[in-house]
Amino acid sequence: MFAETRSDSPVKPVDPEWAWAPYKPDSRRPWNLPRAGHLYRRAGFGANWDELQRALADGPRHTVDRMLHPEADIEEFNRGYDDYEAAAADSGSGDGLRAWWLRRMIHTPHPLLEKMTLFWHNHFAISNLRVGNAPLIERYLQLLRSHALGPLAPLWQAVWRDPAVLLGTEAAENRKALPNENFARALLEHFGPGPGNFGPGDVTDAARALTGCFVRRGRFRFLDREHDSGVKKILGQQGNWGGDDAVRIVLAQPATSKRLVEKLYRWLISETDEPGDTLLAPLAELLAGDHDFSKLVEKMLRSNLFFSDMAYRQRVKSPVEFAVGIVRAMEGNVPTVRLGQDLATLGQDLCCPPTIKGWPTSRDWINSAALVGRSNLALALLSGSKPYGDKLDPAALVKKHGCSGPARAGRFMLDLFLQGDLAAGAAEDLRKTAGTPGTAAGKSPRLRRFVHAVVTLPEFQLA
Amino acid sequence: MSPSRRDFLKTSLGVPALVSLGRAIPGRSALAGATRRDDRNTILVVVQLTGGNDGLNTVVPYADDAYASSRPTLALPANQLHKIDSQLGFHPRMEAFMRLFKEGRLSVVQGVAYPKCDRTHEKAMRNWQTARPGETTCQTGWLGRTSDVLLERDEGTLPAVFVGRIPRPFTLNAATAVVPSIRSMRQCVLATMPGVTSSPVDRGAWDKPAERPQAGSDNRLLDFVRRSTSEARTASKRLEAVIEAAPKSADYPAFLLAQTFRGVAQLIRAELGIRIYCTELGGGGIGGFDNHANQLGNHCAMLQQLSESVAAFVDDLARDKLLDRVLLITFSEFGRTVSENGRRGTGHGAAAPMFLAGGKLKGGLVGPHPSLTDLDNDALKFHTDFRQVYATVLDRWLGVDSRTVLGEEFKQLDILQS
Repeated sequence: MFAETRSDSPVKPVDPEWAWAPYKPDSRRPWNLPRAGHLYRRAGFGANWDELQRALADGPRHTVDRMLHPEADIEEFNRGYDDYEAAAADSGSGDGLRAWWLRRMIHTPHPLLEKMTLFWHNHFAISNLRVGNAPLIERYLQLLRSHALGPLAPLWQAVWRDPAVLLGTEAAENRKALPNENFARALLEHFGPGPGNFGPGDVTDAARALTGCFVRRGRFRFLDREHDSGVKKILGQQGNWGGDDAVRIVLAQPATSKRLVEKLYRWLISETDEPGDTLLAPLAELLAGDHDFSKLVEKMLRSNLFFSDMAYRQRVKSPVEFAVGIVRAMEGNVPTVRLGQDLATLGQDLCCPPTIKGWPTSRDWINSAALVGRSNLALALLSGSKPYGDKLDPAALVKKHGCSGPARAGRFMLDLFLQGDLAAGAAEDLRKTAGTPGTAAGKSPRLRRFVHAVVTLPEFQLA
Repeated sequence: MSPSRRDFLKTSLGVPALVSLGRAIPGRSALAGATRRDDRNTILVVVQLTGGNDGLNTVVPYADDAYASSRPTLALPANQLHKIDSQLGFHPRMEAFMRLFKEGRLSVVQGVAYPKCDRTHEKAMRNWQTARPGETTCQTGWLGRTSDVLLERDEGTLPAVFVGRIPRPFTLNAATAVVPSIRSMRQCVLATMPGVTSSPVDRGAWDKPAERPQAGSDNRLLDFVRRSTSEARTASKRLEAVIEAAPKSADYPAFLLAQTFRGVAQLIRAELGIRIYCTELGGGGIGGFDNHANQLGNHCAMLQQLSESVAAFVDDLARDKLLDRVLLITFSEFGRTVSENGRRGTGHGAAAPMFLAGGKLKGGLVGPHPSLTDLDNDALKFHTDFRQVYATVLDRWLGVDSRTVLGEEFKQLDILQS
């Protein structure tokens, strides 16, 4: 358990060299169930039982290896889902697209890829409420997925030509005589270096560099006659720049690297502290070198800091992480059209982030209505009846893993969802107040109630 | 709240039901002048009238000859109106508004719109929702931005909700605050597992670990979620008690809007700390107020629903002495053309009245009725910018700096009791 190591936690400020060195288990910081569960929550949407057991057996290094490079045929899996998503989107259904993405998150053999696709969707936060075109959103998501774990340049160079991105930033028409500043401003203010790191002239000239860009009938068009071929000055660099140059210059800014590193830090490590420049400097340098985001992800996932108390349960699960985590752990399936709607009600409408800044984070997810909403969603998922049906069956799960019988079933569920890590005595209280789990055949309402009690614990709301 | 209901809540929950969920606000500066009330307790209810309400047939300038001459079939007979004064009267179906007006619980701000006001539904509605007319890239609604401010001030709270059956209006789109859509009050109450005999102990399963004092816990995020979990359970129980206590036959008419208000009143009574409620009349699409043809009957039905639903809500809150904490405002994306269009309907216009209801209003008419002869392309000209109403509500009712939300300063209206 992490609690054992608490006294050994480094005192602030953290030594960057220690922080980013690979974690190697020892007697004080053993490789155990909580650490394995932590890794699966951050690098994916939580583990199922076999994943936890295999991680324990394999150790952290091999487990991270598999997260980065799964053994399964990822391409084949994704090709299948690409087709489903495209079919849903082409029929005009944003709900269908959202549902297939959720299903992909539930079943993917490469959860890290979906987690990072969601990261980029949250970064280039384009909403179908603005775009109003499900097939374009589907292609935009495919674009994000195809570059989610790779070098940054191809992703960024594709983004400014993406019809959904241009429509979503109100930049579908950029004329020489009337440069449209909307994408340029989004690029500098939200995607790139951020406020304070650019001036109004940079927006004007980046917009000029992007003149000639149009979206016509859902496709990107570059009209040469509408391109301003004069000299522009963007972030101190002068030249006859076009869109590629503008994006290249923005991406090369140290402020952009720093911002992306900070964002990934909050995504993978902690939402509760403000990492200082000293701590992040080695990572910013790594990213500035060849702009390979997968190396950055890998560095973080293997690090001492990642497996320390400074990261453990220092993030709040978003509604998607919460629900997909339950379904994955239960090794079942649920109707995801309905799940997409319920998650939208909880504030996370996939494909429709509220603003270009993406979704809320951390404590902003938590209030009384949100927690009642999560509890009621979990209940609906686990109740074995409408609207989610009976595909999540806790009795079958404990039987499959040889943990039938009330005491063993209860321990199994606590290990599965919380890796046994809850406040001293809380497990006992849970058994007393929620009753013995009971694994009788049939609908097993008592075991279902116990699982519901577990996933509504405060600990389970944290990633 | 009536003594009996308050007692009921106390005894059924074992805690004073009026304890607010909001945590103390750390050292907020006294921005305010003498007019600032206890602005942590005030509640704003915003009613969107979708489609463009015909203000001219709502508050009718019956004494103006231009009124009858512009509207050969739609002009309402003066003798059927509820007369406000020698010039103006409420629509015949708005008897309830007339009563509220006489009681000083209803104010009418006349001639409201904004410069270069848009006459297409989508853009005009977006302008009222964002309060940033013409800024097509604006990412948030004005109530969403207000929610963000309130949340930043008091983390873990629920600043705003939408209550209704249409998709949540953009007004509530926020950057950091999660603003839920509530379709049914049951959604806000913790459900229990079917098939398990329920007992108080079962409910306890949810909160027991949450309430445990966590000696030695050094995860402040976890502590925060524990506190919030405990608060959520309390909130759920309180709402449940309120729903059970409210007689089903409470004096609300059968209108959907009235039933929505009944729910809002329940949420207010449950003291969930929600500061902003948004709801809607007219439907999600183009809207029930958009009467290009055969307007008369439709408009009657809409106004009757509005008037009687608001009155029922006001009366309900007044009975429980909650009305002094509540301010309701209505808005619509535009008024309508002065002349009718040959199909017994009207086109998209500009200025129209906004209605305000509550216990702390000065009441009466605010501003003159716009001229029926000095028109802008057949629509009434505005003299009051809608953002003046918003600014007044923000600064003087919710205690949120209007410049933060609206991006500039607007002259306030003298509509609230000090």
